[in-house]
Amino acid sequence: MGTLLEVKGLSVSYRRGGVAVRAVDAVDLDVPAGAMLGLVGESGCGKSTLARALMGVLPGNASIDGGRVALDGEDLTELTPAKRRQRLWRELSFVPQTSMNALDPVYRLRDQMREVLCERGGLPTKAADERAVALFRSVGLDPVRLTDFPHQFSGGMRQRAAIAMALALNPKLVIADEPVTALDVIVQRQVLDTIRRLGRDLGLSAIIVTHDISVVTYLCGLTAVMYAGRIVEQGTTEALTRRPTHPYTMGLMNASPDLHEPVETLVPIEGAPPDLADPPKGCRFAPRCPLALAACRESDPPPVVVEPGHSAACFRAAEAGALREAARKASTWTR
Amino acid sequence: MAYFGRRFLHMLIVLWAIATILFLLFRLMPTDPSIAHLDPTFTEEQRQLVRAQFGLDRPLFEQYLIYMKNLAEGEFGLSFRQRQPVMGLVLAVLPNTLLLTSSALIVAYLFGALLGASLAWRRGSLFEKISVPLVLATRAAPEFWLGMIVLAIFAFGLNWFPSGGANVAGARYASEWERIFSLDYLRHLVLPVLTLAIYLQGLPALLMRSNMLEIMREEFVTMARMKGLSERRIMLRHAARNALLPLVTAFALGFGQSVGGNVVIENVFSWPGLGRLLVDAVANSDYPLAQGAFLVIAFVLVVMNFIADLMYGLLDPRVVHGEH
Amino acid sequence: MASIELPHIAAAARPRAPGLFARLARHLAKNPSALIGVSIYLVFVLVAALAGSIAPYDPIEILFTEDGQLAASLPPSAAHLLGTTNLGRDVFSQLVLGARPSLFVGLTAAVAVATIGSAVGLVAGYLGGWVDRALMRLADLVLGLPFLPFVIVLVALIGPSLQNIVLTVAILLWPNAARVIRSQVLTLSQRQFIEAARVTGAGEWRIMLVHIAPNIVPLAFLYGSIAVGWAILTQASLSFLGFGATDTISWGTMLQDAYASQALDREQFSWFVPPGICLVLVVLAGFLISRGYEELLFPKLGEG
Ligand SMILES: Nc1ncnc2c1ncn2[C@@H]1O[C@H](COP(=O)(O)OP(=O)(O)OP(=O)(O)O)[C@@H](O)[C@H]1O
Ligand code: SF4
Ligand SMILES: [Mg+2]
Repeated sequence: MGTLLEVKGLSVSYRRGGVAVRAVDAVDLDVPAGAMLGLVGESGCGKSTLARALMGVLPGNASIDGGRVALDGEDLTELTPAKRRQRLWRELSFVPQTSMNALDPVYRLRDQMREVLCERGGLPTKAADERAVALFRSVGLDPVRLTDFPHQFSGGMRQRAAIAMALALNPKLVIADEPVTALDVIVQRQVLDTIRRLGRDLGLSAIIVTHDISVVTYLCGLTAVMYAGRIVEQGTTEALTRRPTHPYTMGLMNASPDLHEPVETLVPIEGAPPDLADPPKGCRFAPRCPLALAACRESDPPPVVVEPGHSAACFRAAEAGALREAARKASTWTR
Repeated sequence: MAYFGRRFLHMLIVLWAIATILFLLFRLMPTDPSIAHLDPTFTEEQRQLVRAQFGLDRPLFEQYLIYMKNLAEGEFGLSFRQRQPVMGLVLAVLPNTLLLTSSALIVAYLFGALLGASLAWRRGSLFEKISVPLVLATRAAPEFWLGMIVLAIFAFGLNWFPSGGANVAGARYASEWERIFSLDYLRHLVLPVLTLAIYLQGLPALLMRSNMLEIMREEFVTMARMKGLSERRIMLRHAARNALLPLVTAFALGFGQSVGGNVVIENVFSWPGLGRLLVDAVANSDYPLAQGAFLVIAFVLVVMNFIADLMYGLLDPRVVHGEH
Repeated sequence: MASIELPHIAAAARPRAPGLFARLARHLAKNPSALIGVSIYLVFVLVAALAGSIAPYDPIEILFTEDGQLAASLPPSAAHLLGTTNLGRDVFSQLVLGARPSLFVGLTAAVAVATIGSAVGLVAGYLGGWVDRALMRLADLVLGLPFLPFVIVLVALIGPSLQNIVLTVAILLWPNAARVIRSQVLTLSQRQFIEAARVTGAGEWRIMLVHIAPNIVPLAFLYGSIAVGWAILTQASLSFLGFGATDTISWGTMLQDAYASQALDREQFSWFVPPGICLVLVVLAGFLISRGYEELLFPKLGEG
């Protein structure tokens, strides 16, 4: 299958009190058509910023410093704002974390659906309403709830409504930013099931942003691990869970429950991600990496292909087998 | 419904308390108003009549009960000066005040909402930097002074509009409606409405601006952008629509406050309304009339506060459905 | 001479951390609107203080021209910067002296509102229970009164002096301050250092005065500064309506005078425009300061 989305060298920074914070730094990412890619990383590593930069909708103090975002081979960053706006939602749609005010509180869901279907999809009102009913059914919502206001929905229902909204115009790619984070575990599972079913039934291409590795293993065939504004490892989810190559990925696996090869106990990675306004020299993970060498603090490790479709940005990628052995021991991570 | 009931009860209590305060104010003053300010031309008979009517010869508490009973029956007594029922005098000028207030508020809120929205839209621009202090200055300007300037320019300088009153002297109309919808009345209405609107627009403009700025940071506005909706649509249908909610409440509250606040404007333009009635009554120590005018002004204020609460509920679905 | 030097010595002898004033100064430098507000105030305070020497004439003196005519309704000239009134009084002198009552009313009302508001807020918030409920109901009630009509009625009953105007304004404006200060007291009294003080056996009054009161001073200041504008406008409106103190010349009485003597008809703008501008400036200064101060107290997060 061909590449649907191709991101090359994308960088985004925020201005904050006169300082530039590089939240996304030279990111490369590929999403093949029909694939779901999980984007994982700790809080604050730039996942949301990357997701929003792909949509091209960023806060006023953010700027895209370079790179290209190609959808079906066409660079979106080259388009005029008006042309880019035309692509939005028809080709690229977004599922926000709806615990925030992501649905307009003063309109009924039906009207918010109509807005998308009529304004952007060009459907007449009647056809739009029929489509809205079908969409609600497909995400497991009772269509009578279309006449409700957002605040009358539970968290899980709101999230389903947001998914229905994102699917409205049959986009080529759906980007979901923490779609289940705000929900409690049981509802989380139900919504994840719905997403998985939709993915299979519709052959959906999606990027699922999450800080929860189990969400990725459940939904996504591909995984990209992000750390301090960079993608440090990417490949198939299978490869990454069985043969993690970057020490940060190994650490994440240790810190997450319920994976193939459990360690004795859950071990968190000590320390905190670096300040993006002033990232450390060399490998950004070095200050927290138990496997770091002196060289790691000198220069940036470039991504290396470790097997077809699986790359990692670590100087010690070649010794990954031995590193994995070490990483499985809890003592490695506690100093 | 329970909400409605609770608010309604609250309104009644406030009205009762205001009436009580007023009673105490007028009765506990060192001088007995009826003795100190009774028109000397009153005959002894009339004097007794008035004293008996207000029960001024009875103990204070009994006076209070009579006063409350009279109020409840809409009986405000006789004007000392005009020797007519206060209720009739008040009701005769009430339409003028309500009309002045509502016209001015509508003009002010339409203009203010538009101005506020465009200030928010073009935040950081030169237009915004100049407009905000200007709007603040209109809030700082005394209403009567604005009225004087407007009068000097449009009534005396350009001679476009009459300088005072509500109708040309001596004009006769078949009915109150005919009077109010006459061209003459409208011509008299223009300048007071303009002045009042200049004074009133600042609040909605600033409120709209800050609401809009707040709402433009909301996630649903970002989502609207992601949906590829036009900037115009985002501003009008989402940002402005949400930002308008508090303005509706402010409108109702403003109406209540303005009926009392009009006192000044009505005097500048000799507009025969409640405020002017109050000022004349106080100036002439016509206490029954002053009391009646004040109570009606307070009544409008309290009722509008009540309506403001209800309106907010109507417009914000979150309140209707019992969440807060 | 010595009296001028004393404060410096005192300041030097008592070294203090760069506290409120340093912070205030830094804030002013960053907040141009507050700086403008403060400057306007300083100018008017200066004018009010030196009014006697700035004003070229006695403001109520009836003036005559050199040929013995009444100097009535003269246009602006070098001798009369803003012309004269219809009774031959110098408008500029009135304007300068009119600064005094306005500033007096504004500043005393600010102090009164801040004091009453703090006292009620402290007592209600700290004692709680029925005292709190009663005071807050009272606050609701007062806020439900029509402002200007109530002031008119009250001033008419207790007499139209500047002090009484301040009193009425304070009676009507304390609830806003009291409510906010009360909720501040409520949050403060749950803080740990208060608990700690209680554990060490400090008395309730002591806790209230030593630990809580200082923390609400900024809020009291904020509501005081908001009251300045209201009080000045109220005093002017009352004067205009004829309920002002009859023995003082204020900007409000000047405007009333101009209005009543047909200055509008004569389009004698130099008489009735300047007092209004002075009122706008003083009130606007209050707005600018309280806005800037609000930002200092409640800094908004985020930017852009
Ligand atoms: N509007 C903004 N202005 C300034 N800095 C921002 C802004 N939004 C995010 N940042 C900064 O950019 C960095 C990346 O933030 P981002 O929200 O993309 O992270 P994230 O991976 O999505 O985190 P989370 O898991 O908490 O959602 C953080 O350091 C954050 O503080
Ligand atoms: S490059 Fe060095 S510091 Fe960075 S992850 Fe690999 S081993 Fe650790
Ligand atoms: Mg995020």
